[in-house]
Amino acid sequence: MSHTDTEILPPETTYAGKTLLLKPERSRLGFVRPDHNKSVIIDWITTVDHKKIGLMYGAIALFFLLVGGVEALIIRTQLAIPENDLVSAERYNQLFTMHGTTMIFLAIMPLNAAFFNFLVPLQIGARDVAFPRINSFSLWGFVAGAIVINFGWLLQALEVMGLLEAAGATAGHTDFVPAMGWFGYAPLTHTDFTGAGTDFWIMGLQILGIASLSAAMNFIVTIVNMRAPGMKMMRMPVFTWMTLIVSLLIVFAFPAITVALGQLMFDRCFGTNFFVVAGGGQPILWQHLFWIFGHPEVYILVLPAMGIISETLPAFSKKPLFGYSIVVFSGAVIGFLGFAVWSHHMFTTGLGKVATAAFSLLTMAIAVPTGVKIFNWVGTLWGGRVRFSAPMIFSLGFVWMFMIGGFSGIMHSSAPANAQQQDSYFVIAHFHYIAIGGIFLAVVAGIYFWLPKMIGKMWKGNLSTWVAIFSVVGLNVTFFPMHFLGLLGMPRRTHTYLAGFGWETYNLVCTIGAYILAFGVLLLLIDIVRCFRSGEPAGDDPWDARTLEWATSSPPKVYNFARTPIIAARDALWEHKYGPESRRITYEDDHGHGIHMPSQSWMPFVASVGFIPLGLGVSLMQAGIPYMGYVAIFGLLMISLGIILWAIEGPGGYHLHPDEDAT
Amino acid sequence: MSDTANAHNEEEDSHAGLVVENKKLLMWLFLGSDCMFFGTLISTHLIYRKLYPQSYDPLVVFDLELTSFSTFILLMSSFLMALAVSAMHKGQLKSFRRNVLGVIFFGLIFLSCQVYEFAHFTNEGLTLSTNTFGSTFYLMTGTHGVHVAIGIFWLLCLYFYSHTGKMDAHESAIDVEVAGLYWHFVDIVWIVIFTAVYLIEYIPGF
Amino acid sequence: MSDTDYAPLPVSDKNPHEGENEKYHTFVNLALVLSAITGVELVLVYMPFNSVFIFTVLLALSLFKFVAVIAWFMHLLYDKLIMTLAFGTGMVIATGTFVALGFLMSPSNVDMEAITQF
Repeated sequence: MSHTDTEILPPETTYAGKTLLLKPERSRLGFVRPDHNKSVIIDWITTVDHKKIGLMYGAIALFFLLVGGVEALIIRTQLAIPENDLVSAERYNQLFTMHGTTMIFLAIMPLNAAFFNFLVPLQIGARDVAFPRINSFSLWGFVAGAIVINFGWLLQALEVMGLLEAAGATAGHTDFVPAMGWFGYAPLTHTDFTGAGTDFWIMGLQILGIASLSAAMNFIVTIVNMRAPGMKMMRMPVFTWMTLIVSLLIVFAFPAITVALGQLMFDRCFGTNFFVVAGGGQPILWQHLFWIFGHPEVYILVLPAMGIISETLPAFSKKPLFGYSIVVFSGAVIGFLGFAVWSHHMFTTGLGKVATAAFSLLTMAIAVPTGVKIFNWVGTLWGGRVRFSAPMIFSLGFVWMFMIGGFSGIMHSSAPANAQQQDSYFVIAHFHYIAIGGIFLAVVAGIYFWLPKMIGKMWKGNLSTWVAIFSVVGLNVTFFPMHFLGLLGMPRRTHTYLAGFGWETYNLVCTIGAYILAFGVLLLLIDIVRCFRSGEPAGDDPWDARTLEWATSSPPKVYNFARTPIIAARDALWEHKYGPESRRITYEDDHGHGIHMPSQSWMPFVASVGFIPLGLGVSLMQAGIPYMGYVAIFGLLMISLGIILWAIEGPGGYHLHPDEDAT
Repeated sequence: MSDTANAHNEEEDSHAGLVVENKKLLMWLFLGSDCMFFGTLISTHLIYRKLYPQSYDPLVVFDLELTSFSTFILLMSSFLMALAVSAMHKGQLKSFRRNVLGVIFFGLIFLSCQVYEFAHFTNEGLTLSTNTFGSTFYLMTGTHGVHVAIGIFWLLCLYFYSHTGKMDAHESAIDVEVAGLYWHFVDIVWIVIFTAVYLIEYIPGF
Repeated sequence: MSDTDYAPLPVSDKNPHEGENEKYHTFVNLALVLSAITGVELVLVYMPFNSVFIFTVLLALSLFKFVAVIAWFMHLLYDKLIMTLAFGTGMVIATGTFVALGFLMSPSNVDMEAITQF
C-alpha cells in the first residue's frame, strides 16, 4: 500500500502484511506526544520533519519577499520624479530600512533555509537532521523574529491616526518602525535620535540570530555525522557542501552582531557608553563590529545560490560539474576570506593607508575563487547536451547577471574608485545585480527544479519563460541605469532629489523597470499556484537528474529512504542509472528492525513563542508603555520553561515498517 | 515482537552511538561560536582602555587578592566537574552527585564574589555609565556571570534529575559530559578575562 | 533499571575503569598546577621586573592554562579531530579578527585629539 499524496503521517503502518494502528506515546513528562495527530494545524506546528519545515520556511519567505517587494515599489514610485511627496522623509527612511532588513533576513535567508532543510538530508542519504526538535525551534524562532521586527507597523499606524505617542526612553520620537538603515549605524541609533523602531530592530535581529545559529549548528552536525555509508565528503553534492560552509560562516559571524546589538541595547536602555561620543564611545566601532558580521553575511546569502546552480547546470547539461574539487575548495576559500575583508565597507572612514591597502588587496583576492567558480560553471556547459528547461534558463541568467554584479564589486575594491562610489547609487546597482540577478534567479531556478520533488506535481505550460523575460528585463532596466546615476553623484537613502542634476530620466526608467520586475515576480507566483493545482504527477525523477534526492518518491515518504542507501560514487543517482555495476546504489538490510522516526513535539514551538513577549516587551518598554518589562520577563520564563520541558521529555521516537519492496 | 508498532527504548537503536557524537560536536560548535562572542566583548574592552588610559583608574577599586581567590575557586570547580564527568562514565551516581554539588557550591561562591565586587565598585563610583571603562567592564564580566549562572542552573537540573532513577552511565554520560564542556569553557573565558582585564592593569605601561 | 546506583558501561577491557583512574590522577595534577600558576601570576604583577617581561610571562601562563583546560579537562586531546577543528576554527578567526581590530582602533590609528575632549 502506498501513500503518495499523504501530507499527514497516516496513523497506521504495515508490518508483516498487516495494517497496524499507531498510538502516540507518553513522554517522560507524562504528556502525550503530538505524534500521528489528525489535526492538520497541530501536525504542522509540532512537526520535526525536515521536509515540512523546509516547505514552511519557503512559504513564509515568499510572503516576506512580497512584503519587501511592495516596500521597494513604494520607494521607486517616490523616486520616479523629483521632489515627489508620495511619502514623507521619515516614512521613506523606514521603507528602505525595512526593505533591506526584510529582503535579507526574512526573505533570502529563510529561502536558503528552505532548500537546506528539504534537500540536505535527502542528498546525504539520511532520514532527518541530527536534531529534529532544534530544527523546529529554528523555524518558529524565525517566525517570532519576523513578528517582532514588523510589529512596529501596527504602532506606526496608530501613531499616524493620532492614537499613540512615545513616552519614557524614546519620548519625542515618532518612529515605531526601524528607520536607520538595515545596518543601523551609530550614533544615529541612540535614543537621542531614533525611537522605539530601533528597539524592535535590535530585538528582532537578536531573535533571528538565535534561530539562524541553532539551524546552522544543526546542519553542520548533520552533514558531518549522518551521511549514508559510502557518502564520503568528496562525493557529496556541491549544494550540501555549500550548506556546510554557509553554516560555519553563520556560527562564526553572528556572534559579532549579537555583541554589537547587545552593546547598542545597553546604550539605549541602561545608559552605557559603547557608542555614545560624550561618554567616550566610538561610533566607528559599531561599523567594524557590524561589518565583521555583515561581510560574511553576504556570503551566507550568495553561497547557497551558487550551490543551487552547481546542481542545475550539470543536470541540464547532462555532464558532471566541471572541476568538482576546485568548486568545493573555492567555496571554502571564499568563506574563510570573507572574514578578512570587512573594512572594504569603510574605505571612506579614514582608516589610514596601510589598513585601506590591506583590505583592498584582500577584497581583490576574494574575487579569484569566485571567478574560478564561474569558469567551472561555463566549463560544465561546454560540450554538454544542454536542455533549455526552466531551471536551466534561470541558471544561465544567474551566471550572466551575477558576473555583472561581480564586475561592479571589483570596481568597488579599488579604494580610490570606491571614494567616488561609496554611498551612491553605484553601490545599489552592484548589490542588486548580485541579490536579484544572482541570488533571486538561482532561487527561482531551484524552485523550478525541486518543487515537483517537494509536492509531487509537475509544472504546467511555459509561463516560466515569461517569468524569466520579465524578471531579467525588469532587473536590468531597474538597476543598470543606477550605475550611471551613482557616478553622476546621486546619493543613497535620500527621499527625494532636486531637478537639474540630470537624474530625472534615469530615475523614471528605474521605476518603470521595477514594475516590470514586479510583474515577473507576480507571474512566478501564479505559476507556482498553477503547479500546486495541476493534476500531473511529477514522478520520481522528472528531469533525469544526478543526485540522491531524486531516488526517492515525489514527494518523498516521511522516512525518506525505506532502507539506508550505500553510496559508491559521486553523482550517485546518475552512476546508478548509467554507470557500471560497481557504482550503483545498494541498500542496507534493516533486519526487520523497522525505521526509527523522531517524535513530534510542542516544546520547540513553546520555547520560540516565548521570544515574542521578550522582544515586544523590551521594545514596548522603550516606547514608554507601562508594565512591558514584566512582559519581557514573562517571555524569558516561557523560553526557559520550553527548553527545560524539551530536555526532560526526551527525544522519544516510534517505528515504521514500510512495504518490503519499497525503496 | 509485539503487534502494535509503538515507541521503544532509544537504547536499542543502532545509531545510539551516533547520538553521542552529535551532542558533543554540537556543543563544541557552540563553544567555537561563544569564542567569537567573548572575543568581541573582551576586544571592545581592550580597545577602549587603550584609547582612554586616563579616563578611569581601575586600580582604585580593583582588589587583586579577591579576584585571584575567585579565579582559584573557578579553577577548582572545573576540577570537580572533570571528576563528576568521570564518575558518570563509571556509573557511580553517588560520586557524581557529590562532585556536581561541589561544582555548584564553588560556582555559587564565584558568583557571590562577583556580586560583592560589582556592589563594591558601584559604591566607589564605577557604574555602567562611567565612560567606556564601566560600560565594557560590566557588560563583559556580567555576561560571563550570566553564563556561570546558567551553568549552575543546568547542573542543578542534572543533580535533581539524578535522583529520579532515570540516569545511568549509558544514556546520561554524554549529557553530563556536554554540561562539563560548557562549564570548562566558562572557566577558560575567565582565565582570559583575569589576565586581560585585571592583571594587565597592574603592569605599568600596558 | 532497578539499580539506580551502579550501571556500568558494557566494556570489554580487563579493567573497564583503568582509563578513568589514570584520568583522575591527571585531573588532580592539573588542578594543582593551575592553582600554582594562578599564585605565580598574582605575585608576579607586584614584582619590580621589566613590564614587557611580566606581560610576556603572564601571556604565556594564561595561554598554558587555557590550552591545558581544553586539552585535558575538556578531553579534546583524546577526542576526534573534528572537535578540535570546530573549536579551533573559531579560535583562529576570533584571534585574527580581533588582533586586526586592535590595530585598526589603536591610538596610533585614531585621531586622539579629536576624541579626547573630556
